[in-house]
Amino acid sequence: MSDPSPRCRPLDEAAEARLFWRLRFLSAWATLRGMLRTARLRLALVALLSAIFWATLFALFREAFAFLDSAQLVVAPLLFNSFFSTLMLMVVFSTGILAYAGLYTSREARLLLTLPARPEAVFTHIFREALWFAGWGFILLGSPLLAAFGQVRGAGPAYYLLLLPFMVSFIAIPATIGAMLALLIVAWLPRYRLQATAGAAVAIAAGLGWLAWSALATPGADSLTVPWFEQVLARLEVSQQRLLPSWWLSSGLLEAAAAHGPGAPATLAESARFLAVLVANALALSVAAAALARRLYRTGYSRLSAEIPTKRPPRARRLDTLLAGRGERAAAPVWLLLLKDIRLFRRDVTQWSQLAAFVVLLGFYCLSMRAFHYSGSYAPVVGFLNLSAIGLVLSTFTTKFVFPLVSLEGRRFWILGLLPVRRDEILWSKFVLAAAGTVVPCVALVLTSDAMLRLPAWVAGVHAEAAVGLGAWMPNLRESSAAKIAAGFGGTLALVLGALLVVVVVLATAVPTQLAILASHGQLAGGGWVGILQRLGTWPGVAAGVTVAVAVSAAAAAIPMALGFDAFRRLEP
Amino acid sequence: MIEFSAVSRSYGRKPAVADLDLTIPAGELFALLGPNGAGKTTTIRMLVGLLAPSRGSIRVRGHDVVADPRAAHLHLGYVPDEPTLYEKLTGREFLWFIADMFGMPRSAAAAAIEAQIATFELGAFVDDLAESYSLGMRQRLVFAAALVHDPAVLVLDEPMVGLDPRSMRIVKDMLRQRVGRGMTVFMSTHLLALAEELADRLGIMVHGRLRFLGTVADLRRQVAGSGAAGLEQLYLELTDQVGAAGDPHPAETDR
Repeated sequence: MSDPSPRCRPLDEAAEARLFWRLRFLSAWATLRGMLRTARLRLALVALLSAIFWATLFALFREAFAFLDSAQLVVAPLLFNSFFSTLMLMVVFSTGILAYAGLYTSREARLLLTLPARPEAVFTHIFREALWFAGWGFILLGSPLLAAFGQVRGAGPAYYLLLLPFMVSFIAIPATIGAMLALLIVAWLPRYRLQATAGAAVAIAAGLGWLAWSALATPGADSLTVPWFEQVLARLEVSQQRLLPSWWLSSGLLEAAAAHGPGAPATLAESARFLAVLVANALALSVAAAALARRLYRTGYSRLSAEIPTKRPPRARRLDTLLAGRGERAAAPVWLLLLKDIRLFRRDVTQWSQLAAFVVLLGFYCLSMRAFHYSGSYAPVVGFLNLSAIGLVLSTFTTKFVFPLVSLEGRRFWILGLLPVRRDEILWSKFVLAAAGTVVPCVALVLTSDAMLRLPAWVAGVHAEAAVGLGAWMPNLRESSAAKIAAGFGGTLALVLGALLVVVVVLATAVPTQLAILASHGQLAGGGWVGILQRLGTWPGVAAGVTVAVAVSAAAAAIPMALGFDAFRRLEP
Repeated sequence: MIEFSAVSRSYGRKPAVADLDLTIPAGELFALLGPNGAGKTTTIRMLVGLLAPSRGSIRVRGHDVVADPRAAHLHLGYVPDEPTLYEKLTGREFLWFIADMFGMPRSAAAAAIEAQIATFELGAFVDDLAESYSLGMRQRLVFAAALVHDPAVLVLDEPMVGLDPRSMRIVKDMLRQRVGRGMTVFMSTHLLALAEELADRLGIMVHGRLRFLGTVADLRRQVAGSGAAGLEQLYLELTDQVGAAGDPHPAETDR
């Protein structure tokens, strides 16, 4: 009917895409420049610790693959398929949550939807960020695994060159599915989006747990023996469905790793075909997601606004009253702050649904321990492996939920800053919440999993303390998404430090214990290095190992908290 | 220029805007007044395409904001109640992003950006990252961004929040000047004095319904007829009277 200002014209799709890329580049560049200018030490620390973390994982995976090869178990295809299919489910869920937060609750989305941008372009722009946050963990964990496999198999340079394209094209598929699910749920079930998200989280966790249970529970066979492995591998066949992107990825990488000798070009071509399948599917899904966003994004955004609950359900009110003690007595400031955090956490579905998924997964894992059968000198090894696994999960848990506690105060920090409470009390309240949230479930899980799972409760406490301390040391008060805070600079450091702590504690206690057991069976005899190992494998050696573990843990708890207290007292929001 | 036709919008079962019929011609500054929870922000969010009406339609220069939001947005400039910027962009980069998003040619964009920097006195900080800006600086930058493409329709939600007296004067002068050149301004505000000073027409919304629509002179005549001491008293009486006898489901928050 009428023309816009003569100076304006609608952008074509390519120009719009270039503009959003430029926006992303400028923001990233400013962030990097700021970090290089003001936080070089932190940046170097994170880079160094990440490198150590990567190298440790690489070494562990290399040993594991070498062991499996030496036992002549054809395990790589199943291992890859199981690992990548599990990861695929987790990425669907985590990207769905990140996309939901970015598309429907962020201020950026509200700004962009008032501009003449196509909704699918806004979706793609915000989705890319979710993809980045969901994908970096996969690259960090997956690259040492795949690099170690390549080294053990003597893969050529082509294998290593193909790793990144394979990983990126693979991760784009579940991530896009997660974002599409977020679009569909908000557009069609805006009123039930919380239930749908929580239900999906618990269903995924339960599904994975059931898979782990049914795969690992092998009555009649001793765990970590060849018959046990064979039974486990047979049950994991389900992950080798040829329509799954995880199968395309696994097969493509296995082909690339096997490209030796005269048949190498043909094998590499086969690998490239799998890569092409992944890329084609990722691109097809991105087109489908854009089409979906064109139809549903604006509608969903508007519908969601109509579903914001204004009244608490009666059950929630009763819980609040119970926690508040009916307001009949003056509560301690720490308790009041704690109460506030519990309420905020309870009302943030993206947080508690992930927690629920974590707990369900851990529960299944611990329950499955009952089905293991151990004998001989392997039993303590399995116990320590359990400790490592739970410790690593706990590192992720504290990074995801505990580290962001201080940052999430964000722009509301002035409220806390003006309260008549000491800042130390604020930080202690965060610690109490974090410790309760980690120690209580862990102790419960330990009890559930019988004596087989030897997770000392203090490891959980140390993790919580370190995460709170680091969170206060390097808060990000401008970010409102817990997932992005956890995936950011300080969160990475918390994750890496937590994982390193687990490795140090487990090695310090496990190595002398195992050596002592081997010595008691007469399997440790000889001179030179073996002599040193003999001395380590004595009960005083075990005691020394435990002392080192406790000392390292105490330092890991005390130093971040001290740094956190110091920084938090000086914090100017 | 702006047409609301039988527009209603509810949040769940709670009506926020009901049966709004309103036409604002080119070259008019319209002020929407009302107490907290009256439905002003909902009306504005529908106008800029963030919310779709439950019933009815909204057109900006003939373009339906739901059916063809991109065409409608090309005519719109929007200053929200909370200024939103990219923290890691400088003010100048943000202005360029907006100008590029509206498809402005480079030379025209460069000239318009410099003009806005001069108008809103952004020169001292426009090349710093937005994360270092105060609320007033942010608000001035958002004004500049809303005007950089010379929109036919400017939508303002509580525009004076965070502005110092000098900046307020700049904004008021700019608004009168632009309206004089044919721009349509739709402004939501709590400040009766601001509406009285600037608006050609004003509407008073209570519980989602437009209870008064007319010029400031009409309102003054009503003041004289009602025996109220002034505009403020009439405004308070008008809203209180309606509040006592009106909607059984009054909105609790200003959405």
